[in-house]
Amino acid sequence: MTTQIERFSFAERVSHWTSALCFLYAAFTGLALWSPRLFWLSGVFGGGETVRAWHPWAGLIFSVALGVMFKRWAGQMQLDQDDQVWLAKSHLYAQHIEAGIPESGRFNAGQKMMFWLQSASAFFLLLSGLVIWFPEVAPRSARLIAILLHPVCASVSMGGIIVHFYMSTLAVPGALSAMVHGTVSRGWARSHHGKWFREVDGR
Amino acid sequence: MTNGWCDIANADVVLVMGGNPAENHPVGFRFVMEAKRKRKAKLICVDPRFNRTAAVSDSYVPLRSGTDIAFLGGLIHYAIANDLCHMDYVRAHTNAAFLLQEGFAFNEGHFSGWSDEKKSYDKSTWQYELDGAGYAKVDATLENPRCVFQQMKRHYARYTPEKVAEICGCTAEDFKKAAAVICSTGRAGKVGTILYALGWTHHSHSVQLIHTAAMVQLLLGNIGLPGGGVNAQRGHANIQGSTDMGSWNMLPGYLRLPRANWQSFDDYIKATTPKPLRPDSMNYWANTPKFAASLLKSYYGPAARPENGFGYGWLPKLGETENQSWGFIFDRMHRKEMHGFISFGMNPVANGPNTEKMLEALARLDWLVVVENFETETAAFWNARQLGEKFYPKYVDPKAIQTEVILLPAACFAEKDGSFVNSSRWLQWKRAAVPPPGLAKPDHEIMARIFLAVRALYEKEGGKGMESLMAMQWNYAQPLAPSLEEVAREVNGRDVATGAQVPGFAALQADGSTSCGNWIYSGSWTEAGNQMARRGQEDPTGLGLFPNYAWSWPANRRILYNRASNDANGKPWSESHAAIRWNGAKWTGDTPDYKADADPHTFGAFIMLPEGVAKFYTTELAEGPFPEHYEPMESPVKNALHPNASANPCAPVMSSSADAMGTPDKYPYVAITYRLTEHFHYWTKHVASGAELQSNFFVELPEALANEKGIKGGDLVRVSSARGTVEGPAMVTQRMRALTVGGKTVYHVGIPIHWGFVGRVRGPLVNNLTPSAFDPNSGTPEYKGFLVNVEKL
Amino acid sequence: MAVTTVAKLVDTSLCIGCKACEVACQEWNDQEFTLGVFNNTYQTQPDLSPSFWNLIKFNEHVDDGVNSWLMAKYQCMHCADAGCIKACPAPGAIVQLPNGIVDFKQDNCIGCGYCITGCPFDVPRLSPTSKKVYKCSLCSDRVGAGMTPACIRTCPTNCLTFGSRTDLVQLASIRTAELKEDGFMDAGVYDGPGVGGTNVLYVLKHASEPEKYGLPKDPRIPWTVSLWKGPLKWVANAAFLGTALGAMLHYLKFGPQERHDDDTD
Repeated sequence: MTTQIERFSFAERVSHWTSALCFLYAAFTGLALWSPRLFWLSGVFGGGETVRAWHPWAGLIFSVALGVMFKRWAGQMQLDQDDQVWLAKSHLYAQHIEAGIPESGRFNAGQKMMFWLQSASAFFLLLSGLVIWFPEVAPRSARLIAILLHPVCASVSMGGIIVHFYMSTLAVPGALSAMVHGTVSRGWARSHHGKWFREVDGR
Repeated sequence: MTNGWCDIANADVVLVMGGNPAENHPVGFRFVMEAKRKRKAKLICVDPRFNRTAAVSDSYVPLRSGTDIAFLGGLIHYAIANDLCHMDYVRAHTNAAFLLQEGFAFNEGHFSGWSDEKKSYDKSTWQYELDGAGYAKVDATLENPRCVFQQMKRHYARYTPEKVAEICGCTAEDFKKAAAVICSTGRAGKVGTILYALGWTHHSHSVQLIHTAAMVQLLLGNIGLPGGGVNAQRGHANIQGSTDMGSWNMLPGYLRLPRANWQSFDDYIKATTPKPLRPDSMNYWANTPKFAASLLKSYYGPAARPENGFGYGWLPKLGETENQSWGFIFDRMHRKEMHGFISFGMNPVANGPNTEKMLEALARLDWLVVVENFETETAAFWNARQLGEKFYPKYVDPKAIQTEVILLPAACFAEKDGSFVNSSRWLQWKRAAVPPPGLAKPDHEIMARIFLAVRALYEKEGGKGMESLMAMQWNYAQPLAPSLEEVAREVNGRDVATGAQVPGFAALQADGSTSCGNWIYSGSWTEAGNQMARRGQEDPTGLGLFPNYAWSWPANRRILYNRASNDANGKPWSESHAAIRWNGAKWTGDTPDYKADADPHTFGAFIMLPEGVAKFYTTELAEGPFPEHYEPMESPVKNALHPNASANPCAPVMSSSADAMGTPDKYPYVAITYRLTEHFHYWTKHVASGAELQSNFFVELPEALANEKGIKGGDLVRVSSARGTVEGPAMVTQRMRALTVGGKTVYHVGIPIHWGFVGRVRGPLVNNLTPSAFDPNSGTPEYKGFLVNVEKL
Repeated sequence: MAVTTVAKLVDTSLCIGCKACEVACQEWNDQEFTLGVFNNTYQTQPDLSPSFWNLIKFNEHVDDGVNSWLMAKYQCMHCADAGCIKACPAPGAIVQLPNGIVDFKQDNCIGCGYCITGCPFDVPRLSPTSKKVYKCSLCSDRVGAGMTPACIRTCPTNCLTFGSRTDLVQLASIRTAELKEDGFMDAGVYDGPGVGGTNVLYVLKHASEPEKYGLPKDPRIPWTVSLWKGPLKWVANAAFLGTALGAMLHYLKFGPQERHDDDTD
């Protein structure tokens, strides 16, 4: 009897890591394009003109990859009754106190929140990004909104990603491995996503 | 110009009418702006369109095209009726006091002496009443009803502000407001100038129109003063030079062309040398024999001798009443009375009226030589159909054209030395900036080569009239390519015996001892060198005369008639506007238009005229001694002053199949043609920058008319006249207004001229529409104020 | 020694729309001449372009039956507080010279087009081919060599004047007073106080309605641009650092999440 169960399919992992790489590129080059103080970052990522040319493409690929994830996961990301309780007790979760925190499904409420946050940000980043990409075509009023909306969304998104990164690497051992290898141990599944474990375990 | 460009800055009022200097003379227009800035001068713009001049004017009055004489006649009436004339000036310097013979009359649009059959006047009743000595009688009180002043007052009494409004389409209020400003210069200390251009000359009554302007300025005492005058803004860098050097009806220096009835030099001198009409008239044209003999001497050199009338007999002569102006040349060509045509720096297909007639006429020639910078519409006339089928569907089929066309590439202005004579009459010497490209040669070299080749042919084969060719002096160092310096020195004139350059026309003689190519240019290249190349910027009078900059004809005089800036006693009318001053021994300031050391009382102020004074009244023009308002040859309305003599009775009428005239029932709108700042004639459409600045042909329509027709900006419209059509996008604008003329709404349709079927940018030729209508005195076609219809396509 | 701030004065009351400045600009800057687009006005082009930096706008109006045709030259205004510089991420792509000229250095330009949005006058234009942004340089090359900008050198009516900003401000106020004397009571100077003053000054007959000339009424760097390139930058950076710091503190205090992950139970 195998002790591993599949947590993320190949397709899910590909889209996650594609979006992750594009996000990193877009984030760092975005910082370069935002602030002259950070313009040196553009040197790291190919030089100013390359960065200007690639940043929107990275954003576009990010959006597509995120779109794939959105399509697969949106249904599973609906918040239920238990999630509400989870969220109310998230401070306990942060302190590793498990008592009284409801079991999670495939994604816990925190992950769901991260999903919606990133999806919404990405949507507005895409819209505003397109406007900024074509300044000679987009109307000035749209550009004036876009240049504010884009960095605001990017900031929210990047802030979220810092949390995401911390949670998935240091804070929750096993999470990174799940996204890399696609599988988790039955024990990990049961202790972190009890409801989901029972569903997939079928017992 | 009587004055000059820089001088406009001395004006208190600038009337721009029949011109659009902001658009067509933008560089010279700086002096208008200077007058506005520095003198608080008022700029009044009177034009059918609210144009770029109107945009910076202090007041704008709309006016129906071709009604300028009514407007100016209204000013004469307004000035006299409101006692705004500068009467001291009028008494001192005009023929206001001259008495006319009994029998002079004006009735129902015709002056006395009109013959309906001949369509011309017998001018005998127009003459002054002379005393026993042959001098005109005068009445210094100006009270005699037969004196010019009283006749003039009576003649223009009909031109009330209400009548002006009825004819011109402006309001009486607008007219009166403008008139009050213009006539505010009718006193010492205030001076006004009039600037005009082709908007006045392109009418079937253009010379009379300019005559009216001169009358207004004389009444207001504005002629001869800095900041005054009647100033023609010439359209090309050297068009003044071309006029001075002899056009269709003149020899160089405004000497008359020989005619068949003046077979001998003596006949010619007798007919063309005027007699003084007053005892104090200097009558400078009495020197005509000196100028004419010296001219012939420069033509024929040693062959011109007193015994043979200086070779006068060799000159070709016009028929007694023959007219060889533009329209008539092409009419003859159209009637197959010409075999060949040399088009030198001219593009008649583009700039002649009634394009189709031009094309047909050229197609009836055996040969055509075009000397040009580019392949022009004229050089490519045979191919009009193929090059511009869209615009010229009905032109002659190239296969049917037998005319042999030779295009000779000519250097452009920047590729040769020589002089430009600008509107200010300044001869400015220039140097070639770059050599001509390829095989292109300067005009004078082309001319020399043709001349020598033709002469060699005659020498070999003989032929009619060869004596003149053989006798002609051609003693240039390089006969095939004379230097322009040599030519310029010849034009200035020299002492035949010593070869020394004459210092000026005063040195010219009638006995053949001097030669001179153009007496008015005498003094331009003296023993002191090339005066035209001078660039001194000194301005000793502070009036912007710049006497050491280039050289101004005549005698480096900057303001013509400047003696009139002083009263009869030689006292300036005002200290601020004295062009010259009498210091007790001589005149100082500008070169005096007077004998330099003659006491102010010696002569009348207008030394060129037999009267010795300026003329309100003149017998020299075809259609009357006083200008009268006549409608354009095609007009939307009948003449409100005399409906039975509506248009100019003396205007020549052409009768070929191509000379149709339209009527307002079929062609209800008044079309005007004009130039744009961005282009220079039909040339700059060949140039990248010009092509960019105005790439597209367009038709300007008043918004009200466009609304009536459902036309929006950019919609394609067809404009048609009795002669032809043009098509292009409409520019719908409020800058053109509906005018109310005698209770009827009249719309203008504005069409800029600059396109054609060759060049970087192409479009229809406006002259497809223009009529074969001409001024009887100058022969200028009526390019403005003809009838068209407009349809949306 | 302090460098004098240079400026250009456009006295619209003296402009006759001759377009000489347009040609001079094109020629000096080696721009290719193209063909104009018909748009029912006398304007050469409907708008500025990457290869057309100086456009006379022909503004037609009729007020109470009185025509006006207000020509106004339209080009970079060389603002003291330049929105383009504020928006530009690439150091050295847009520089403000000591003499006040705002100059685009295409070698450093990355083509992001932010300057277009940052400009309150909507002047810079992005070339679709070179992906660089272009605009009037006030002929910084000529000025650097002691010459007058090409447009000003060619103006026939003295509508354009070049000189020190201080002198031109004075000249502009003299002209304004003259126009008021001529009855244009609304005459005034347009120099964009909202952007710290422009080094292209205008004298307008109708100063309270600059829109009539195609000029913005109260030009300012858009607040979204200021926010974007100002406080927002710092807030966001602080937030990133704060989040990262929070994560670190969390780890140090609580460590990783320990759960019973063994498969048997």
